[in-house]
Amino acid sequence: MADEMQAAEASEALAEIRNRERQVIDLATVPSWYWWAVGALMVVLAVGVDTRTAVAIGLTVPVFVIGMLSATGLAVRGQFRAAQLRRGLLDGRGVAAILAFVALIIGITLGTAFALRGAGVSYPATWACLAGGVVMGLGGPPLMRTLRRIMLGNRAGSPR
Amino acid sequence: MTAARFDDLIHAPTRLAIVSLLAASERADFKFVRDTVGLSDSALSKQLATLEQAGYIEIHRGFVGKRPRTSARLTAAGRRAFELHVAALQEMVAGAGVSIVPR
Repeated sequence: MADEMQAAEASEALAEIRNRERQVIDLATVPSWYWWAVGALMVVLAVGVDTRTAVAIGLTVPVFVIGMLSATGLAVRGQFRAAQLRRGLLDGRGVAAILAFVALIIGITLGTAFALRGAGVSYPATWACLAGGVVMGLGGPPLMRTLRRIMLGNRAGSPR
Repeated sequence: MTAARFDDLIHAPTRLAIVSLLAASERADFKFVRDTVGLSDSALSKQLATLEQAGYIEIHRGFVGKRPRTSARLTAAGRRAFELHVAALQEMVAGAGVSIVPR
């Protein structure tokens, strides 16, 4: 009976540990709107590049820079203020997932831009960034779910 | 194979919650820990002092601008003690055949 009580208490303690660690991991989850915001800012910058006028570039570059800083600041402020995630929760699989996502965005954006430019389409960078931005908006949340799953699996007390 | 050692200091419910938050963090802000665990300033300070005296955590008091900011982090000894404690809990559960559904 004592052993059963002890095991039940241990089980509850492990559940508490995992729950508390999950609370920290959830702080690091980038919200879905962030990916669409970055995608939209990419399009804004591309409009400036395609327009090729000093006024357009002078307007779009600051919007892009300020927008990126603001969006990133809002997205990660919880982690910065509250708790910084422990290194090691995100292992090689997480890094590989991030690199694959970046490669996908770059590949789609550059591939589309060069293809459209070769075909003589107007505003190729804008259209390409629109495509890349949509992929980013759609792909960002699944990427975050993958990273969260990896980090939850690397919590203390998780089955290895 | 990881050794296991049940740690009475960590296992107390409030300290278990605090150490678990710190275990997932490089460092955690005092207010975050206080609000997440649901403690008063003085209650959290007391628990942190106990953990600090045991050498399990380090407390950093600094400023962000003009605002004081206190944070805590697990020391290497604290992280090791926590890992051994988790291993001890897992052994107890495995020995009794209790099923745990991860949350």
